[in-house]
Amino acid sequence: MLEVAEPRAVAGRAPDVFREGKWVPMRTYDDNEEVDFAIVGTGAGGGTLACKLAEAGFSVIAFDAGPFWRPLEDFVSDERDQGGLYWTDERITGGADPIELGSNNSGRGVGGSTVHYTMIALRWRPEWFQCRSKLGYGRDWPISFDELEPFYEEAEEALKISGPISYPWSRRRKRYPYRAHPVNAAGLVLARGCEAIGVQWSPLPLATLSAPRGMAHPCVYRGFCAYGCSTNAKQSVLVTFIPRALNAGAEVRDLAMVGKIEMGKDGKATGLTYHRGGAWRRQKAKHVVVAGYAIETPRLLLNSKCDQFRDGLANENGLVGTHLMTHSGPGVWGIMDEEVRCYKAPPCMAVTEHWNYDDSDKKDFRGGYAFMSQGPLPVGWAEAQAINRGMWGMKLRQEMTRYNHVAGLRIVGETEPQRHNRVEVADEKDQYGLPIPRVTFSYSENDRRLIEHSKGSMRAVLEGAGAKELWTDHDTSHLMGGCRMGDDPDDSVVDRDGRSWSIPNLWVCDGSLFPTSGGVNPSLTIQALACRMGDRISGMAKRGEL
Amino acid sequence: MLAPRQPEPSHRPLIAVAAATVATATGLGWLLQRAWNPKGDVNHRAAQALGAGAAILCISVALDSAIEHYRGQFKDRAMFVGPTMALLGLGAATYIAFRPEHANDRLPKIALFTVGATGLIGLAFHSYNILKRPGELSALNLFYGAPAGAPAALTLAGLYGVIAGEMLSGRDNVSTRLPKHTAALIAFSLMGTVAEAGFLHFRGAFQDPAMYAPVTIPPLAALSIGAAALTPRAAAFAEPLLKATAVLGIAGPIFHAYGIHRNMGGWHNWTQMILQGPPLPAPPAFLGIAAAGLGILPALQEAGE
Repeated sequence: MLEVAEPRAVAGRAPDVFREGKWVPMRTYDDNEEVDFAIVGTGAGGGTLACKLAEAGFSVIAFDAGPFWRPLEDFVSDERDQGGLYWTDERITGGADPIELGSNNSGRGVGGSTVHYTMIALRWRPEWFQCRSKLGYGRDWPISFDELEPFYEEAEEALKISGPISYPWSRRRKRYPYRAHPVNAAGLVLARGCEAIGVQWSPLPLATLSAPRGMAHPCVYRGFCAYGCSTNAKQSVLVTFIPRALNAGAEVRDLAMVGKIEMGKDGKATGLTYHRGGAWRRQKAKHVVVAGYAIETPRLLLNSKCDQFRDGLANENGLVGTHLMTHSGPGVWGIMDEEVRCYKAPPCMAVTEHWNYDDSDKKDFRGGYAFMSQGPLPVGWAEAQAINRGMWGMKLRQEMTRYNHVAGLRIVGETEPQRHNRVEVADEKDQYGLPIPRVTFSYSENDRRLIEHSKGSMRAVLEGAGAKELWTDHDTSHLMGGCRMGDDPDDSVVDRDGRSWSIPNLWVCDGSLFPTSGGVNPSLTIQALACRMGDRISGMAKRGEL
Repeated sequence: MLAPRQPEPSHRPLIAVAAATVATATGLGWLLQRAWNPKGDVNHRAAQALGAGAAILCISVALDSAIEHYRGQFKDRAMFVGPTMALLGLGAATYIAFRPEHANDRLPKIALFTVGATGLIGLAFHSYNILKRPGELSALNLFYGAPAGAPAALTLAGLYGVIAGEMLSGRDNVSTRLPKHTAALIAFSLMGTVAEAGFLHFRGAFQDPAMYAPVTIPPLAALSIGAAALTPRAAAFAEPLLKATAVLGIAGPIFHAYGIHRNMGGWHNWTQMILQGPPLPAPPAFLGIAAAGLGILPALQEAGE
């Protein structure tokens, strides 16, 4: 089983992710040593920021509730077993459209959900940063595309993104560090369909190597990306920013569940309480960064309530946990005459962002969506047939004989930020004795119109490619919002640098910062924001503004 | 901002492979040198070198197309044609290299003409393969579709062989115009090969600095031999540059062997990685062209005088 019982990053060493059974030296701090930054979470936000801050010379400890994986020896080609990458502790989910939690939208382990993400590395549409003022919906972000663009470049370079020579949408951009991968047959179905109906398509920019990089091999198109890459071709935070952070003197504490942020009498955070090795411990820190993603970040802020902050930290205006967004993900599937074998290579290899950039009045909804070719693995596929189409017994077996001919598309669909979609804490407690999160989510009318529109587009593309017997399912992906950033302390949780309005040494750095959800995968934007925060914090330290 | 360079795996396996390759190359070179018996005038020697160049090109194409078409599971029966014709070309060109006096015989000439024509047909096939894909003439299809340059190498081998025969035809232009035209063809061949290597190394993001070598030295060699076609005095520059290009043609497979080592499983997983990694038999094309170029230089200089 994919299970690690004891912390690995102890006694001055951490697992070497590039060499089986080997270790790398790691600086370790005493609990009573007041470090510059204690970071909660080591995923796209926390792991990236830990590296940036350590490289800038700060003393940093990054905590993760999950294990420090060794992909080369821990990960296997087994869908069931690799489920251990997900955070499957009990959560309560509700609302008119409850979000399924604990699989693709969760990550437990050093590297966070980048360990099992599909590596799609897309930038935000530039106008989305001012979508209220430029496109007339949603909210404006406190920062512009121009401010973030250098950090997109930095993140893309750090992950050696393999992307096309020219990407058809957005602004002219610097060339991707590595070249695009060959598009698999599932991606070519999307390509042919798009060409048939006259919309543009593109190979996806992906965070998996198309050429060697240091100790990491190029992708071998194994196709298990969403279940953890056992070859290190995937440029997850675990094999990119974390080794850099360790090298720069950061400490990573695995299997360390942070339960509470400790507050001092002066209204500043003094450190945090965490559970590791069977005991609760306290770590002193000058600054605390919360980077647990859109569920765990609000949860920790709410669970850290104390006499001074009775509603939780940074929650004077009651916004913590609110305006939670997901990406709607209806999928359309069909059967092709020819063999597709969609499970080969990374699951998503081709994309059309046409409806993200189309502002014509042909759309009966606000916002946008992108859709990608899909590559479900057999167990997941059989499960989906049983759950979504009610197939069982001989019928399911017969359907599975057509698995090699299946092609499908799924959107990453923008949803609106709504106050009543939120994370709260329930009375129930988990194994650590911490109140568990309760998540409420309902689509807006606009969200539903977008979903229906996307189904029509995906049908047209699949039919254009020659798919038959189309059917539809529904899923969600990604979580955003909950601690949104802004320029107005009354209307946001943190400022444009992720710094809490009310507690000056408390920061947030993850997808919960997002004021709107956009129509593309959020990881690259989270990493760009983290890179920017790292630079901003270094600048503030130099100016004495910390 | 560039991300810091990551440490690379051990170079030790490269040392063993390089030692083995250099030993093999030295051994073969010694044997060849014993057999190599340049006699007769500059035209004979040019014919011999063109034959040798064509033979090396044919070895490169035969192995490369056999491996790549095997990778494509010989899905189309026409995929057997490339490797087969390369072997035919290899036979005819080797014959010319060792018996240059027969270069103008009817049989090797017909064989090499057919080989060259097959290369053109292959080029058409490969272009069709690229253009029929979604995206048509896109960088992605040029990267991963059938390589356009590979069949062209077969055409070059055929041309070299036919020219070798012409060198000994005794016609008037043999001592005047033909060496110049051949030098221009060599320059063109080099630039074509540079374009292909450069494009594929670009696909590999020039991740290793050594990947710049074939886009640095051979273009200079092409320039110098192109200049030599116009003013034979430039041949003095062409010779060292062509020799350097020939060395690249030998060093290339060593680097590519290291490239295979850096793919997943490396040489332990060779059955997969000689297909996915950099192509081992491709770089010797530079050796073949350089050999032909070096052989034509004396005739070129004589034509200038």
